[in-house]
Amino acid sequence: MKKVQKEKLEDLFERLAGDGVLYLPLEEDGVVNFAPWKKGARVNLEALNTVLPPKRAIFPQTETYMRFETDGKKLQIEQVEPVEGNYFLFGVRPCDMAGIKVLDKVFLDEPEDDIYSRRRQAGTILSLGCNDPHVSCFCSAFDLEPGFAPDADVALWDVGEVLLWKPLSEKGEKLTSSVEDLLEDASAEEERAAEEQRNSAAATVAAAAREHGWNVEGVEEALQDMFEAELWDKLYRRCLGCGICTYICPTCHCFDVEDFGKWQEGERFRCWDSCMFEEFTLHASGENPRPTQKERVRQRFMHKLCYYPSNFEGLYACVGCGRCVRQCPVSIDITQVIKEVGGVKSGS
Amino acid sequence: MARKSTLLPEVAVVESIRQETPNIKTFRVVSPGGGKPFEHIPGQCAMLSTPPVGEAIFSITSSPTEKEHLDFSIVQTGTVTNYLHEIEEGFEIGIRGPLGNGFPVEEVKGKDLLFIGGGIGLAPLRSFINYCFDNREDYGKIDILYGARTPDDMIQKKDLFELWPQQPNTDVYLTVDKECEGWDGKVALAPHYCEELAFTPENKVTVTCGPPIMIKFVLEALDRMGFTPDQVITTLELRMKCGVGKCGRCNIGEKYVCIDGPVFTYAQLLEMPPEY
Amino acid sequence: MKNLQDTIREIAAQSLARGEVELVIGWEKGDLWWQSYPAFIEEEKEADRLIWDPLCVPNLSRYLLQELSEMDEKKIALFVKGCDALAFNQLLQDNRTVRERVVLYGIPCDGLVDPSKLEREGLDRDLQEVERDGEELVLKAAAGEEKRVPAKDYLYDKCLTCRYPNPVAYDQMLGETVPVEPEERFTGVRKLEELDYEDRFSYWAEQFSRCIRCFACRNVCPACSCIKCVFDLQEPRWLGKATEPSENAFYHIIRAYHVAGRCVDCGECSRVCPVDIPLQELNRKIILDINELYGEYDAGVDPEQEAPLITYKTDDPAAFTES
Ligand SMILES: Cc1cc2nc3c(=O)[nH]c(=O)nc-3n(C[C@H](O)[C@H](O)[C@H](O)COP(=O)(O)OP(=O)(O)OC[C@H]3O[C@@H](n4cnc5c(N)ncnc54)[C@H](O)[C@@H]3O)c2cc1C
Ligand code: SF4
Ligand code: SF4
Ligand code: SF4
Ligand code: SF4
Ligand code: FES
Repeated sequence: MKKVQKEKLEDLFERLAGDGVLYLPLEEDGVVNFAPWKKGARVNLEALNTVLPPKRAIFPQTETYMRFETDGKKLQIEQVEPVEGNYFLFGVRPCDMAGIKVLDKVFLDEPEDDIYSRRRQAGTILSLGCNDPHVSCFCSAFDLEPGFAPDADVALWDVGEVLLWKPLSEKGEKLTSSVEDLLEDASAEEERAAEEQRNSAAATVAAAAREHGWNVEGVEEALQDMFEAELWDKLYRRCLGCGICTYICPTCHCFDVEDFGKWQEGERFRCWDSCMFEEFTLHASGENPRPTQKERVRQRFMHKLCYYPSNFEGLYACVGCGRCVRQCPVSIDITQVIKEVGGVKSGS
Repeated sequence: MARKSTLLPEVAVVESIRQETPNIKTFRVVSPGGGKPFEHIPGQCAMLSTPPVGEAIFSITSSPTEKEHLDFSIVQTGTVTNYLHEIEEGFEIGIRGPLGNGFPVEEVKGKDLLFIGGGIGLAPLRSFINYCFDNREDYGKIDILYGARTPDDMIQKKDLFELWPQQPNTDVYLTVDKECEGWDGKVALAPHYCEELAFTPENKVTVTCGPPIMIKFVLEALDRMGFTPDQVITTLELRMKCGVGKCGRCNIGEKYVCIDGPVFTYAQLLEMPPEY
Repeated sequence: MKNLQDTIREIAAQSLARGEVELVIGWEKGDLWWQSYPAFIEEEKEADRLIWDPLCVPNLSRYLLQELSEMDEKKIALFVKGCDALAFNQLLQDNRTVRERVVLYGIPCDGLVDPSKLEREGLDRDLQEVERDGEELVLKAAAGEEKRVPAKDYLYDKCLTCRYPNPVAYDQMLGETVPVEPEERFTGVRKLEELDYEDRFSYWAEQFSRCIRCFACRNVCPACSCIKCVFDLQEPRWLGKATEPSENAFYHIIRAYHVAGRCVDCGECSRVCPVDIPLQELNRKIILDINELYGEYDAGVDPEQEAPLITYKTDDPAAFTES
């Protein structure tokens, strides 16, 4: 295992940024989000979850993919290349890495979405283990480990003065050798410290899961018979029908397609959309298969906890990052839904 | 040049436009160099692009056996369809397809077929019907029941009144909702007429498409007439954007209408949540 | 004195039992300490779900839009803090609610706790419950530990500047009125006004650039009560969906103008914004301008009062046409 001294991070960032776009959790007006690093930027590697998940780098909120020109009856269409080049996602939390895997299934499944796929391939992901999970973190419910993201290219652990560094993939190895001079070998002691942190973080989340009864076992099957359940009648009533819970979710992937431009020229882009909006499913006739917020709230939870796992071998489309739990203005809480549906208390 | 995106349309030319009814036109679409933009099977759809006002999905109403073009019958309802209704022949548009699963043309070989269409719902059926006529020996008796609000609202009149009735072992039944001048044919709602005609379910598959309310009553009627849910095939219409199972808006339960449909058997629909 | 929460439960149970109302809207508690959220109580036996604690921030009046239209002639009881009452009056003035069908129980409010202020200082560790005791907050942790901190340091900014903590509309007031000692609310606006044009422009451009257009600020707003919002119209499509500078600015400027003269300054827009855009400052700039141009006006205080932006007077100032 390698390590990088925290005082050398600035050098590392400069090196990476010279090699592509470096997305890092940056703080601006108190809000921490992944954004391209520039010299002097306020990096915050302490904040657990950025407000918006790092999916933004791979699946941007608004993304132009086509340009057109018209001239009388003539039309010209041209693809806009989706990738600006290499990029690095530095400091991705394990839940968010798992979120990217959830997106992969959708976009890389046939027919492959090449806009996504090319962005995905152009990136190298360095994930940072969590030492101190929040009360709203419940990644362990989905068999994820707060201290480690196996699907990242490089795993990082913060052990005080240094970040431990372990390449996990070919891309990770390549990156490691390209910044070799900034890395050192980690000591056995440091490795042990990282190990301990991993274990204690896992124990914290597991204990919370036990206390709150977050157990997703059987939730998919149970929901299959719960389309008409009373649960939805209660839950939706306070919902504001905003886009917060879906836009900040690392697994949500719905999008809309729109044109922007004048008659003679313009572009077509796709942008995030949300099943919580009325217009999402509104028909030309004015009819709507999901006419009230009840059907929309049901769709969101059903999709994450039932439809998605039915389509992708039992994988849930929630990674327990807790963003929606923290950010919903009226505390509509997916863990409460899991609890009510599952009813099975884990552990004890 | 990198690989082409699944969301990127090709340029195509509107070769001819025919006014069908006051608010429906049929568009014949070809590649800029002539010929079909792509092959399809009956029941599949395509996204037509009209920059700068967007993209919308339509059934391909021509049969795959028509080798030179794709036809679309389109109701004027919103932005894209308004644009299409304004353009002239020779205009270029974008096209992306084929999308969706299409009708089970192979599986129903050897069966008698009953087509029940309402209004613009004839569009997808027509592709299948003409495909059957071009492979006549593969299919048994063909009954076509078509209803529209008034005779003026009927599309593809040449097929309905001339070509199809001449086909061997084929009956065409036409009906309008209300009495009106110049119409001495049947006056009845399609589901009622269907029951009156007392089709028998033996060795028969029904394919129906039309406004949701018609489909609802047709399904009830067929049920009373002894058709089992797996003998009934229909197509669904949900709001769509990507057409390739990614944008997430067309799902009914775990099924995505754009890729798992739009063609479903009634038996399949009964397994799905009633959210359409 | 009986505790306010008990009174709330008792009154809710009573009005349901007597059939005075068919629905009571209050707050209930979730699993996590900050979760106090709107509760919809239709049966007497459910009234015990209702709570009152210093985290009952969601403004309840807006739910009348959805609940009254669904329920025909039925009556609804609503617990209202100061800001909820202003919101109610504004809905009344905008003809979007019916006074006779709503029973208002007033709750004098001594300010609500901003969870992020506790988090910033790590005071949320193992926290289970937050109580108000006079000038202090009692922070109760898991192991029965208690910590006391000065309440004022952890209240929402909007509560510190609140000028109507005692509900201005009610059928029955629960609890004693609280003293009104607001801090100056236009400090932030004045600071922005001092910036020159370029800096002000780039300040807001930067703020708006973070917007993800989730529409929470609109959906939570008691002044945003249009049946079909202009931003949702499909045809014509005024607002494109791209999150880019011009669309974002268009959204924010139009939103602020559409609530001009009707914004009750409840601050819910700022509270719900996931990316902390200070929307309340934008609204307050307009409030300040209205006050300076047309005389002091507080939306939501008196639904009978003439609203300056919808009342034409021949001597209205027209500064913008003169310059
Ligand atoms: C599988 C499938 C096959 C179809 N085949 C045909 C066909 O053969 N002929 C035909 O005329 N129409 C067909 N439609 C309907 C057609 O897609 C819509 O009429 C069209 O999208 C309207 O686009 P617009 O831009 O003109 O309207 P817009 O301006 O986009 O929208 C106007 C209204 O239409 C709604 N809308 C958008 N897309 C759809 C949609 N896909 N379905 C229903 N409402 C929508 C919007 O919410 C809005 O309220 C089909 C739809 C589907 C899903
Ligand atoms: S659940 Fe919460 S965040 Fe999601 S739409 Fe409803 S109010 Fe908004
Ligand atoms: S549903 Fe909520 S907790 Fe689950 S991944 Fe999405 S934002 Fe995180
Ligand atoms: S359907 Fe809803 S919950 Fe599922 S990915 Fe789309 S926005 Fe998210
Ligand atoms: S709540 Fe914030 S992010 Fe959402 S639309 Fe309003 S300003 Fe934008
Ligand atoms: S239309 Fe996009 S998923 Fe079906």
